[in-house]
Amino acid sequence: MKGFGKIIVSRQAISSAIWRIVRFLILLGLGFIIIYPLIYMISCAFRMPEDMSDPTVIWIPKHLTLSVIRETMEIMDYWKTLCRTFFLNIGCCLLQVISCAVTGYGFARFRFKGRGLLFGIVIMMILVPVQVTAIPQYMIFRHFGPFNLINNPLCMYIPAAMGCGIKSGLMIFIFRQFFRGMPAELEDAAYLDGCGAVRTFFTVMLPNARPPLLTVFLFSIVWYWNDFYVSSVFFDKNQTIALSLKNLSSLLSQTIFQGLDVSVREQVVWLEAGCLLAVMPILIMYIFLQKYFTEGIERSGLAG
Amino acid sequence: MKLSFQKRKDMQGFGFISVWLIGSLVFFMLPLIQSFIYSFFDIRPDTGGMTGSFAGLEKYNYALNEDPNYRTYLIQVLKETLWKTPLIMLLSLFTAMLLSQKFRGRTFARAVFFLPVIIAAGPIYNIISGNMASTGNDGGGYSTMISADLLNSLMRYFDIYGISEQAALAAEAIANDIFGIIWKAGIQILMFLAAIQNIPASAREAAQIEGASGWDYFWKVLLPGVGPVFLACFIFTFIDSFTDTDNSVMCRILDMQMDWKYGEASAMAWIYFAIVLAAVGIISAIINKFVYYEVE
Repeated sequence: MKGFGKIIVSRQAISSAIWRIVRFLILLGLGFIIIYPLIYMISCAFRMPEDMSDPTVIWIPKHLTLSVIRETMEIMDYWKTLCRTFFLNIGCCLLQVISCAVTGYGFARFRFKGRGLLFGIVIMMILVPVQVTAIPQYMIFRHFGPFNLINNPLCMYIPAAMGCGIKSGLMIFIFRQFFRGMPAELEDAAYLDGCGAVRTFFTVMLPNARPPLLTVFLFSIVWYWNDFYVSSVFFDKNQTIALSLKNLSSLLSQTIFQGLDVSVREQVVWLEAGCLLAVMPILIMYIFLQKYFTEGIERSGLAG
Repeated sequence: MKLSFQKRKDMQGFGFISVWLIGSLVFFMLPLIQSFIYSFFDIRPDTGGMTGSFAGLEKYNYALNEDPNYRTYLIQVLKETLWKTPLIMLLSLFTAMLLSQKFRGRTFARAVFFLPVIIAAGPIYNIISGNMASTGNDGGGYSTMISADLLNSLMRYFDIYGISEQAALAAEAIANDIFGIIWKAGIQILMFLAAIQNIPASAREAAQIEGASGWDYFWKVLLPGVGPVFLACFIFTFIDSFTDTDNSVMCRILDMQMDWKYGEASAMAWIYFAIVLAAVGIISAIINKFVYYEVE
């Protein structure tokens, strides 16, 4: 009997060891696919253009250079664009988080008439693609009273402040889910202590809502950073990083290639350098805030 | 006038949503209705606004029957979404299960797998996938290196048992697009992972004491546990794929707008939206039948 037990134990040990190896291989494979473009970006961005057509060069370039990065920075007007994008981003995200939190709280904790109907609008906001409403929105800002707000950052700020920014519907939804799960006793206690609804929200509920606040803020930064569609409707110049990256190919043709019509293939190094420049800021943010992404989602009620 | 406490409290709700309400009426509902109206008009931009004449269903007719690309693109996007969504779901559930286990370097592995969340949208992804295709280093290229050969030989092996040619082709298509699939699974992995970690440890313990195998545990505890997220995840994947600004229907609509053909563009957008809405409705009704909710 003793020997029998031993065999079972060792079989378990073997199968768990095999599983560990298999798991490692699967994760390695999938992880490689994800990391691959980043490695490729770095590998391309620091090589001379002629290395691209050299068949002996696959990963490690023969001629290391910073000139490609420098040229791309110049074309994209990198630092200025980065600054502008940065301020636009942070501003929009803060406004969006606050407006969505307030709205989500309103939907979660008050039983006013027509709540279901109005919440239907939130669901619609999640479902309707931006493309459907883009042109009329353009017209609104084109003729905003006596002003023409096109190319003015205000046409990003105003919708964000009113809870109608990029993917605001989803964010209101997240906040509503979260506030619905908060105990009602918290509010009641605050009322008894003489807090009005507004003060209750800001002093009791909001400080407890850190996880969804963080999640929504981080996602909002990512989405605003990567957005080029909405900003291409409102801006006709290359005002944000995403926009100038989108148009990098044509910008390259105008500057480096002097108006010649060249294929994407010849532009690869500059394009990859542009990608690297565009990814870098958000990647750095990600490295520092990585754990909040998961933590926030786990506790914000998005999953459940 | 004296209202009860509850009534007064309820009225305050309007105060909380009022900013959003005004905003959504001006920046969302109004444009939505307007674009719906545009789709029935011959619209031209004019100084001071849009002018146009009523055109009836002409624009819809144009979008469906006359436009050279729209219908092809529409079918292409629908097909792609239909076969990719289940795959993305399965892959992300599987990956989330792997990432929820304890092993060394787990934090690093998670960081890598969530990377697509921050990059996958927008022009960066476009350039990445476009460039790799143009230099021959595309997804197809290196997935051949990793999996397609293996898969093909496996298929050949199965062929003995009469698996049809089409299955082999489908498998190859999947292997070739593995890049696109993994890169679209970031948020889903995150959501599944959170759901798996929300399954109480006591459930796992009870299952172990009852002698459940890993297989039983997966089907009887884990899967029902992540059920509600399954629906959320599905809808997210679906909508993400449909509203992706890179997909060909979206690009076509954008092109039309660039040509100032607003009526046609609106009609196209509305047809597209109606199809998406119908698809989401039908499929969530089906999934909802199988989902177990602990509360409500």
